[in-house]
Amino acid sequence: MNRRMSDNLTLFGVRRMMEGVIPPTMCTASPDRMPNVSYLSLAEYVDPLHIALSYQFFNRSRENVLATRRAALTLDDPYTGAGVVLQIEYLRTETQGPVFERLRAKLMGVASHAGMDEVFHLRGADIYRVVELRRVPGRLELPAAEPRVDLATNSRLLSERMANCGEMSELLDTLLDGLGELLRIDNAMLWLFDSAQQALTLLASRGYEIGGTGAEISTGEGIVGTAVREGVPIRVGHMMNMARYARAARDRADALGYEPTHRSEIPLPGLKEPRSQLAVPLRARGRVLGALLVESKNDQHFGYDDEDSLMLLCGQFAVAMSFMQPAEPEPPREPAKPAEQSPSDATDTSKALGPAVQLRRYARDNSVFLDDVYLIRGVAGAILWKLIGEYLRCGRREFSNRELRLAPDLRLPDVQDNLEVRLLLLQRRLAEQKAPIQLEKAGRGRLRLNVSRPVVLQAES
Amino acid sequence: MALTQDIIDLLGAGVSHQVGGCTKDGRPSICRGLAAQVEPDGRLVVILSAESAFEVIDAVRDTGRIALNLTLPENYKSISLLGRDAVVSHGGGAYRELVLDRYHKFRAQLEVHGIPPSYTEAWYLRPDEDLMAIRFTPFSARNQTPGPDAGSALALKTQ
Repeated sequence: MNRRMSDNLTLFGVRRMMEGVIPPTMCTASPDRMPNVSYLSLAEYVDPLHIALSYQFFNRSRENVLATRRAALTLDDPYTGAGVVLQIEYLRTETQGPVFERLRAKLMGVASHAGMDEVFHLRGADIYRVVELRRVPGRLELPAAEPRVDLATNSRLLSERMANCGEMSELLDTLLDGLGELLRIDNAMLWLFDSAQQALTLLASRGYEIGGTGAEISTGEGIVGTAVREGVPIRVGHMMNMARYARAARDRADALGYEPTHRSEIPLPGLKEPRSQLAVPLRARGRVLGALLVESKNDQHFGYDDEDSLMLLCGQFAVAMSFMQPAEPEPPREPAKPAEQSPSDATDTSKALGPAVQLRRYARDNSVFLDDVYLIRGVAGAILWKLIGEYLRCGRREFSNRELRLAPDLRLPDVQDNLEVRLLLLQRRLAEQKAPIQLEKAGRGRLRLNVSRPVVLQAES
Repeated sequence: MALTQDIIDLLGAGVSHQVGGCTKDGRPSICRGLAAQVEPDGRLVVILSAESAFEVIDAVRDTGRIALNLTLPENYKSISLLGRDAVVSHGGGAYRELVLDRYHKFRAQLEVHGIPPSYTEAWYLRPDEDLMAIRFTPFSARNQTPGPDAGSALALKTQ
């Protein structure tokens, strides 16, 4: 038997070997057949016939590949010690697009851990066709690690639970609680994408000392920002430094000309030293609505199967989120003057006791501060400003989603398909902050404002 | 050309060995090596598993050209040694002690990275009759530590 045959291996079947703590090694040769061996920072599975290798430096390997277009690559299984050798043919170098972005985000993770961000710059993603794949014979392979959970079965169970959810808040909690209970993913953050601000806002988290609802990072920053910008999942199996990623993600605000006082000052949750991270975009109706970021203190905690599973669950979540609008209350039989208001609402401003709090809004980005504490901005900030304004003007406490959706002064064209989730963000931010202004549901498609202290409005230009 | 003391020291420090070859028709190949040392005649010998490394062994027999990469896991220091006079022979039990020495040192390096001994055993526990030796005189040494100057030449001593 020809030992160079493939042993019935497939590239799909060995893709996890590209993610081990032992880096892939490549051998190229010069046109005069002198071999050259070098380690690679990253190899990435593209499809059943292609892989991508990181191109960082113009070195001997690069020179050889451009001259001969041939290379041999060896990979070691991170669990069993098994090895494979690939014969690969260089096709092209990509400098943008999903594959490039995935490699770049992973490389940033490796580089930031090593303190070599400036040196580890990705010049391109070299795309190779896999011509041959064979197992390394003669190794005493270890048994493969037991799977963490039955991903397929438990993902289905979680999917069924999500399918039974009737409202946004329930859907969100079901997903995040189910990740821990069913998939043993104990650290998770769910981020919303605000296209107007080109920023991500944290809607909810699990497994951290602080909740961080309302915290922001810029689109394109870190693996979660990159996952949103490119609409692809990004997974880093080891040596990740998310804190550095996330806290470096405020440059976009500078570019947009925001004053420092307008910035979100909400602390970001996150593991101090995550070893594995996976960011999965929330995609629905051709758009990216946000992303789920999960992380672990263990190396290689998330595999391709986790990525596949979370892609499906996040897809379901995103579709549900984009369509999930509560049934609108019956329209009043007679044209309402102040619409949908109970008689008791008008007197409720008198119930607010104690010293007044100042609610300050900056119109440029609708950022809202309670006294000097940053609360929220963007869509959620505009909604809060409107609600409190109505409350102070005529004592209203109850509002319908419908009137918010149609309110011309909010001018929120992008909110049509996710008003509910913006309201949820606002509600949870106020609750987490234990603010004297709270928001709660008041029946189908309605919400109620609870104000426990007098409020003074101050609008800033 | 002869190896500098730095490189000789690196050989015994617990490095990984990756060996590359290329056939006359331009097919590159790569495998793990098990051990390497300087022989009394000044040549370098690298020990491989005949079964695991068959393709590289075939290529070296074909062209006499070889690249040996040595990398120390603790700091990623990495060099490549090149030869064009490589000769393949049976190594056998004469190199058992050398292989065990290199194995124990490499295993200690990887344990720091959380890789258990059982994992490295998958590569190293080969029977004596499977051990092959490739001897060559390095004519060039290259720095392969990751970075912009990977592939740049390192100095060797004249013999």
